Amino acid sequence: MKYRFIGGMVIGFALFPAIFVLADGADLFARKCEFCHRIEGQAAPVNPADKAGIVWVKYFKRGRHPVDLGKILNDEELRSVVLYLQEHAADSDRPAMAAIPN
Amino acid sequence: MKKTLLSLGVMLVWAGSVFAGVGAETVTMPADVYKAILERLDSLQQRVNDLEQEKTVVQPTREQYDKLSQDVDNIYDTLDEVETKTLQDRINFGAELRTRVDNYSFDNMGTRTDLLTGMESTNDDGHDDNNWSNRFRLNMDAEISNSLSFHGRLAVYKNWGDSDYTESDLYVDINQAHRPGTTSLKLDRAYIDWIPQGIPVPLALTIGRHPSTEGPPFELKENRLRQSTYPALLIDLETDGIVGTIGLEQYTSLKNSAFRLAYGIGYHSDFDNSDSFSFLDDDEAGDSTMFATFLESEMPGLPASLAVLSYIHIDDVPSSFRGPNDDHGNPANVNLGDLDLYGIHLQVDDLKKSGFDLFVSWGASRSDPNGKFATYPGYGDMGLLTADGQDKKSGSSLYAGLRYKLPIEMLNHPKIGFEFNHGSKYWISMGNASNELYNKLATRGDVYEIYYIQPVSRHLFFRTGYTRINYDYTLSGYHTGQPVSTDAELENYYLLMDCRF
Ligand code: HEC
Repeated sequence: MKYRFIGGMVIGFALFPAIFVLADGADLFARKCEFCHRIEGQAAPVNPADKAGIVWVKYFKRGRHPVDLGKILNDEELRSVVLYLQEHAADSDRPAMAAIPN
Repeated sequence: MKKTLLSLGVMLVWAGSVFAGVGAETVTMPADVYKAILERLDSLQQRVNDLEQEKTVVQPTREQYDKLSQDVDNIYDTLDEVETKTLQDRINFGAELRTRVDNYSFDNMGTRTDLLTGMESTNDDGHDDNNWSNRFRLNMDAEISNSLSFHGRLAVYKNWGDSDYTESDLYVDINQAHRPGTTSLKLDRAYIDWIPQGIPVPLALTIGRHPSTEGPPFELKENRLRQSTYPALLIDLETDGIVGTIGLEQYTSLKNSAFRLAYGIGYHSDFDNSDSFSFLDDDEAGDSTMFATFLESEMPGLPASLAVLSYIHIDDVPSSFRGPNDDHGNPANVNLGDLDLYGIHLQVDDLKKSGFDLFVSWGASRSDPNGKFATYPGYGDMGLLTADGQDKKSGSSLYAGLRYKLPIEMLNHPKIGFEFNHGSKYWISMGNASNELYNKLATRGDVYEIYYIQPVSRHLFFRTGYTRINYDYTLSGYHTGQPVSTDAELENYYLLMDCRF
């Protein structure tokens, strides 16, 4: 039984990379937001944990971003970035473990 | 004004062409002068446009202006108060409530005593059809400074209609907050992460009562993020200690890679039965200390993955982690020898965005007994993984599983999971604080579990599941005594509700 199970897991591992990879919020955040927001970039780095989830939603709803992002992200893309920001916002769950310093 | 300027320009141009056309007398106008005039015209035009726009700007009256600046002053004052208050709120609080109903049935178990000794028995069924419990947790954290943070958790875990503590040798310091008891708060974890500044390596020191329960991969089933430094198959205990972590990302370029050294006390030997000088060593088993090293990292090319290599050494394991207690007629506590644990844990969350989370965890244990044993009245001799503590014993366990996030948005993306583990005859680990009271990862035999998670919102979910354990050997989870064959089977159905905020 043990070996059949391991066999299944191995086949599973082999198949999954074939699955189509969709651009999601995390991806868009890294590609689009961090294009400008990075060390020595056009603007200082931003972190989803800078604001609470609902504050992110309001930030974009009120059009508070100082640079027009209309040409960089369409509405659908902005929505998924905001979802990503909410998921990792200041008031979101955090992993708990002994810290890893960088 | 605009029109006047325009006409002037037109006249000039017209005049120029007229003179040129008549040819009587040519007014030569150098091209640069002509151009300068046009430019001047342009800038005048721009100025006119600007002036016209300015006209549309509403100028507040003196009264309105005073009111506005008063409002701004008020807002600043309020913000000062709010900011001060926020800075004074040194700790952020969060809470969790879990209500759970369990149905347990245990076949061929013998009496509870027989499960310990492996003796044949006629009394072989045990069950509880309707076991309700509440678990409340108060979570705390604080960013004290850039290099210092605090995390804590207090817990109350109790059965419905019951507020006493189970007198069991297995309910001890290392799982106080994970076993149902009284309504009083217990300290589950309280630790600081300190990243000393100005030293050449990235070092973090984690000191206190550690995040060492519900480790990977339990967060999948618990529908949350990682909860412990250690893989659950090896360590699922409330531990007090010190962990030093060196971040390796800048040397290896592997994300979240780290080397850890841990030191802890698994059992503190003191005079529990003495009225005075109870802090002194009782000269029985002595302290049990724990040294461990871990190497962990995200796996290259697999975001949100985790690989952990573990080695743990436990010195001077006592026969009872509860210690001598005259009230319960326990014999003197005996130091039984040492124990080593090894492990490899591999886990990938949301593999290639497929919705699948997968893990495989392997653990091995090896005892190094010192030939001593404790004699429990009615139970017989119990040494380290044997009766007499003479032989070294090796055990191992394999734990694997997956979770799939269903792409059904209407139902908030429910999740289904399947887990399997198999432990050998002498398998032993440190999972005494397991979320399930039967500590399935300690099983010497096979365990199958299936569960379904139904999220209601970010803060609320339900989980229902079924676990079946086929024990091959007795004494699963006990580090003492000689395991013998058994046909015991445990089944558990449950439904739980978790609210976290
Ligand atoms: C075209 C470049 C560019 C892109 C793309 C961009 N930003 Fe910005 N962002 C800026 C600039 C410039 C500022 C102003 C920085 C300043 O005032 O110092 C700014 C400011 C901000 C601020 C306010 C910073 C603060 O400290 O208050 C936030 C928050 C922010 N951006 C978030 C985002 C997010 C989220 C995205 C992706 C959806 C994004 N930005 C994409 C250029 C960009």
